[in-house]
Amino acid sequence: MLELRPMLSAIWRNKISALLIALQLALTLAIISNAAVIVGDRADKMKRPTGMAVDDIISLTFLAIPQDYDMSAAVTADMALLREMPGVMDAAPSNQLPLSGSGSASGYHTKPNEEIGGEGANQFQSDSHFINALGMKLVAGRNFTEADMHVVGPNDNYTPSIAIVTQQFADTMYPEGNALGKYFYGGGDDHPIEIVGIVERNLGSWVNWNNAGNVVVFPTLVVGNFKRYVIRAEPGQRDDVLKRVEDVLAERDPRRVFRIETMSHHKARSYAGDNTMVMVLSAVMGLLTFIVALGIIGLTFFWINQRRKQIGVRRALGATRTAISRYFLLENLIIAGTGIALGLAAAQIFNHMMVSSFKQPPLTLPVMLACALILLSVSIVAALVPALRAANISPATATRSV
Amino acid sequence: MFGYYISLALRSIRGTPILSALMIAAIAVGVGAAMTTLTLNHMMSQNPLDRKDSVLYAVQLDGWDPNEAYDSNNQMPWQLTYKDAQALLRSDIPTHQIAMHRTGFTVEKDNSDLRPFTADTRATTRDFFTLFDVPFIYGGTWNADADKSPVQQVVLSKETNDKLFDGENSVGKSISLNGEPFTVVGVIDHWNPVPKVYDLNNGPFNDSEELYIPFGLHRRFEMYSWGNTNGWKNDDSEGYEGFLQSENIWIQYWVQLDTAEQVEQYRDFLTGYIRQQKEQGRFERPLKFGLSHPSEWLVLNEALRDDNRVLGWLSLAFLLVCVVNAVALLLAKFLRKAPEAGVRRALGASRNAVFTQHLIESACIGITGGLFGILLAILGLQSVKHLAMGYIDQLAYMDWQMVLAAIGLAILASLLAGAYPAWRISRTNPSIYLKTQ
Amino acid sequence: MLKMHNIRKSYRTDTIETHALRDFSLEVAEGEFVSVTGPSGSGKTTFLNIAGLLETSTGGQYLLDGEDVSGLNDRDRSRLRNEKIGFIFQGFNLIPDLNLFDNIDVPLRYRGFNAKERRKRIEKVLEQVGLAARAKHLPAQLSGGQQQRVAIARALAGEPRFLLADEPTGNLDSLMARQVMELLEFINEWGTTIVMVTHDPDLARRAHRNIQIVDGQVSDMRNANSVAEAATA
Repeated sequence: MLELRPMLSAIWRNKISALLIALQLALTLAIISNAAVIVGDRADKMKRPTGMAVDDIISLTFLAIPQDYDMSAAVTADMALLREMPGVMDAAPSNQLPLSGSGSASGYHTKPNEEIGGEGANQFQSDSHFINALGMKLVAGRNFTEADMHVVGPNDNYTPSIAIVTQQFADTMYPEGNALGKYFYGGGDDHPIEIVGIVERNLGSWVNWNNAGNVVVFPTLVVGNFKRYVIRAEPGQRDDVLKRVEDVLAERDPRRVFRIETMSHHKARSYAGDNTMVMVLSAVMGLLTFIVALGIIGLTFFWINQRRKQIGVRRALGATRTAISRYFLLENLIIAGTGIALGLAAAQIFNHMMVSSFKQPPLTLPVMLACALILLSVSIVAALVPALRAANISPATATRSV
Repeated sequence: MFGYYISLALRSIRGTPILSALMIAAIAVGVGAAMTTLTLNHMMSQNPLDRKDSVLYAVQLDGWDPNEAYDSNNQMPWQLTYKDAQALLRSDIPTHQIAMHRTGFTVEKDNSDLRPFTADTRATTRDFFTLFDVPFIYGGTWNADADKSPVQQVVLSKETNDKLFDGENSVGKSISLNGEPFTVVGVIDHWNPVPKVYDLNNGPFNDSEELYIPFGLHRRFEMYSWGNTNGWKNDDSEGYEGFLQSENIWIQYWVQLDTAEQVEQYRDFLTGYIRQQKEQGRFERPLKFGLSHPSEWLVLNEALRDDNRVLGWLSLAFLLVCVVNAVALLLAKFLRKAPEAGVRRALGASRNAVFTQHLIESACIGITGGLFGILLAILGLQSVKHLAMGYIDQLAYMDWQMVLAAIGLAILASLLAGAYPAWRISRTNPSIYLKTQ
Repeated sequence: MLKMHNIRKSYRTDTIETHALRDFSLEVAEGEFVSVTGPSGSGKTTFLNIAGLLETSTGGQYLLDGEDVSGLNDRDRSRLRNEKIGFIFQGFNLIPDLNLFDNIDVPLRYRGFNAKERRKRIEKVLEQVGLAARAKHLPAQLSGGQQQRVAIARALAGEPRFLLADEPTGNLDSLMARQVMELLEFINEWGTTIVMVTHDPDLARRAHRNIQIVDGQVSDMRNANSVAEAATA
């Protein structure tokens, strides 16, 4: 590398400009690697399986207008109508809606009368159609039957005796994997609840909850003046069913106010914060890389313009076009390399602050190196345009006075 | 001279359109990104009760599970039980005090084509409107007895009144809530504090309620909270009365204490109340209560989330990169014009004059970038609003404060970017550019 | 007009110290036309830069129009340059983006004249150099000789007492060079003191007096007519 020493001294003479480029790259690497690790973390979170046929499900909440409403009879009648509706695969009543951000939870124990600790689980009260209406998969035990059902008031002091739970909850309670047929208890309670069935998974009501995925379902119908239904349409029929469902139910009983949404909407809303982070950070990463690339192009052009005469002289003295391009690319590479090396350190410092102050995930080496590599390639490509143009400078420039 | 510098700056910017566009774009994108997140964070950090911050207090009591602390920043439950709220209401120390929660009713208007709808409703004691300075258009709040006995009266929000009565004075008229007749006693003006500091349960940026009803209606309508209800004790209570007497927490409580003596007395009152309850076997945890000003309440409840802080810092770092970028480009641009600066020096321009000229050129680029930045920020806010799916509809706009801040930020950024290049060129020895090469 | 006594100027790089001027002393009287000659690297340009207040000396005393300028700050030096000194360069040094009018406007702006005064002066000097019709043209649209006349007009617009010319005809062919030289002589006759650095013995001879700088010092002071003999000898 004969060129290296004069090149370094040329960089040294333009040290402020070189430093500014290196600084930009360093900051950019620090920002995008930290953004990337957050984006990755959130994307993984959003990709978690829900255990449900989210795209086919419609959720419906209604509030009865009369104060003394016969909810039990209404549910029975509505279910009969809904399950008969063309395009509907199944429907079930529920106290709460999965993925909606609204739900209820309790702590459960493997022994009776425990006061402390316990495993939090999201609880649903539904019937034997719940599994099918949500598209869940029963992996062990049995579904509920009509005989299991109990109708209770909102404040009745009632504890069910059987439950269907998610595999995750079953494994947490009974890590040896023999949860089926075992019992669990409410806090300070000695009433045993038998695990009669296990479903593969259900993410539950709150996607941001630490215990998301711990779900228990009881065969109970809670009466009151509001109720929720989950309705699963045949694949591709959801929007069609959505249009008809209110009319069908209102025709039977108009004295109520409905709110109908799709489960995809609930899911999107629950993940809106994470999605916003992913989109905004991706935009920041993209724009930043773009801005830095433009900066490199601009500055390399400027340097080359400043040295037109020098390039002409080199060409006149026999330097090939390739040699000229290579010179500028190499020069850029030295500066970019320095910047990226600085950036690796800055990224670690940034990440340290992110982890300690804002509970963000730690930066892993592969993510950081991948970002560094991408940024290095971008800076090389950015320098390529002006460097190739530099090769076109005519040797005659040398003899022309400016 | 200033006008001369401006005309020189514009000429120079026009002379190098691509380089100038690049710099303007860098500043615009930087300012746009920074202002998008800073606007959101600014709106999220606002205290809508700022005017009364020093006299208002959110009340917390620690009557939680003796075995485990409540999982919140100050280890106390956010809300109170119904029975504790009723007990606190009996104190006459506060100037105003309210117990309340969010709930919902179906709304119908007799002899109307309007379809029944559900309305977000606040069940509250009558002082709500005076304590939070809520202005009335028509009528006023209900009488004190309505907070203790079931009186079917209702205060409408302006929007609800517009919907039901086309904005006319509806005081004395009747509407049906859950099928039962209610008399309108008042209509409030548009009132929508952001963040919703008085109740942060259902997301800090939700709209205010559409109806307000007296706190004496619980047993009549068996109301539950349309917010969080948390419990720890498995007691054998039955029915709605059992729920009201349970250890479940679901009531928000605020007091207005105007003087230091009132605060002192109220602290004594709360201490006494907890002691007395301890004797009856409740409040088994160490004696602890909370009185938080709205500003403190917002911080405790983390209205401004960590994610927003991360975005705020990242976008400022982003702006920094854009500034460094602009420094590099401006340096390149100014150095190319160094011969001209040399000539000006020879013709009598002082270093300061050359410095000022170039700094003004940077500022022109900065202001242009800033204006585009504001457009980008508005676009950015719209996109974020879209992405957030309704969570931040209240926030995603720039008030004049933020527009000024954006311009200020752009000018600051460009002056920061221009300072070194302008200094460098003003210090260059002019004679080297005057000789013919 | 100009009085230099024992002026020294040295440039220092990391390792070497170069003396551009050593104990340089010179007086130029009001109304004189002095030519400065000397081999390359002798210190002609350094002398010109110091005389024109573009650079400061390392030592010695410099009186311009009776005022000691050695200790002045940049602001005062710039003001003096603006009010008392006009520059003419070999490379003309017109600002390429500005038309003739705006080029001549530059020193007047720094002088702080109002718009009316500036216009009056610009039109007057453009008239004097015979380019009044081309005020809106850019420098690149003119020939070399015309450009140099604009540069002279720019130097004269502030009515300086002292004109410094650095190879004013160096980039011009002989016809144009003669025109420029005649213009300078005309200006001098009206009272402006001129110091002109040149390589050309014919031009040097036309000045009242010639000084030769060799190795950073005035080596010889003669009247101008003897230069030609020396140069042709």
